[in-house]
Amino acid sequence: MITVRNLHKYFKDLHVLKGIDLDIHEREVVVLIGASGSGKSTLLRCLNFLELKDEGEIIIDGQQIEPKKVQLNKIREEVGMVFQHFNLFPHKTVLENIIEAPVHVKKINKEEAVETGIALLEKVGLRDKVDVYPDKLSGGQKQRVAIARALAMKPKIMLFDEPTSALDPELVGEVLQVMKGLANEGMTMVVVTHEMGFAKEVADRVIFLDTGVIAEEGHPEEFFANPQHEKAKQFLKNIL
Amino acid sequence: MSQFLESFVQTFNGFINAAGVTLQITLVSLAIGAVIGLVVALMKLSSIKVLSLTANVYIGIIRGTPLIVQIMWLYFGITQFIVLSAFWAGAIALAIHSGAYIAEIFRGAIQSIEKGQMEAAESLGMTKTLAMRRVILPQAFKRAIPPLGNQFIIGLKDSSLVAFIGISEIFNLSMSQAASTFRQLEFYTIAGVYYLVLVIIFTIIVNKIEKRLET
Repeated sequence: MITVRNLHKYFKDLHVLKGIDLDIHEREVVVLIGASGSGKSTLLRCLNFLELKDEGEIIIDGQQIEPKKVQLNKIREEVGMVFQHFNLFPHKTVLENIIEAPVHVKKINKEEAVETGIALLEKVGLRDKVDVYPDKLSGGQKQRVAIARALAMKPKIMLFDEPTSALDPELVGEVLQVMKGLANEGMTMVVVTHEMGFAKEVADRVIFLDTGVIAEEGHPEEFFANPQHEKAKQFLKNIL
Repeated sequence: MSQFLESFVQTFNGFINAAGVTLQITLVSLAIGAVIGLVVALMKLSSIKVLSLTANVYIGIIRGTPLIVQIMWLYFGITQFIVLSAFWAGAIALAIHSGAYIAEIFRGAIQSIEKGQMEAAESLGMTKTLAMRRVILPQAFKRAIPPLGNQFIIGLKDSSLVAFIGISEIFNLSMSQAASTFRQLEFYTIAGVYYLVLVIIFTIIVNKIEKRLET
């Protein structure tokens, strides 16, 4: 579904991604882990072109994407993104947040978008918050709305950039629960997270990044039980 | 004091008319200035070099020269080539002037919106233009209200300078009254009182709008 070949990314003189090769298959849940500064968020953001690659190829759904030649917004419709800080639109209610893109980007008629939106809110357990503004929600509720908002575009793949890192510990579970549900439904997901429990339980594959390269990847059971790479051992020791 | 009151009462009708002119030229110039300001702010933030450079040159020139010079230049300079009434020459000069300051207010407000808002909008498939219109600007306008209110009050007082191209607004009338009666102290005090009242009314309206937008 997504193929990445020899991806390089620089921030000025800083070489953040140093030749990443990656294949993400349909219905696969891939968890990206690594120390801060390892490039995991940058890699994720390259996948929906919030950061533009400097070198290499990104192929989505069989189509090689050259950011300067194609309309990125068309590709982004297929790739949902959930951010660490939710980034809900504060001037719109929960439902308005959700129907904004379906109505104004996909041009779906409003009644239909509202119907889908309410169904999605039901799914993330926030049916009663339809007309509430984001600032009245807890962090966990905000993130669940953000997930519903991304799902409203019916994406083929969902990217999660540290979705629980800004949450109070007691609110992490409700967000992970929603993500687990999505994974079980067969959504293709790429997740940057520090929630090792989630990785163990849900991921099909764990990828460990270190200073801009994929240092190790594997099935979560093997990876967590028996990491090979020295940095991976160190990282797991520090985090667990 | 009795002389002051006498002057005040005698010229009341005249000053009410003049205040009407002040209000008219202020509102017209601020409305045009707000449109100029928004366009220039977006130009300045544009990634197209020609646009941002043009915006910078415009803001630089306007902020770098006195308003009275701009008014005179427009009225005596431009009217050699195009026919423009004193009122419109004054209104346009004031609009071009306040436009530069309003542009900086809008630019600041737009830049103060968290980067994540644009990213979220783009990640949902919105184009930059659509995201600007639907997501960024509505939030930026709200943040721009307090400094805009301030700029509008400055614009109201700045309008007194069009007195010098013969527009019969408050300051123009006070100058002619002062000259013909030799009661300078009284008539410039009266002018100040009218401006003060207008500014207070403006302030109350701006505060009301701010309050309403808070909820």
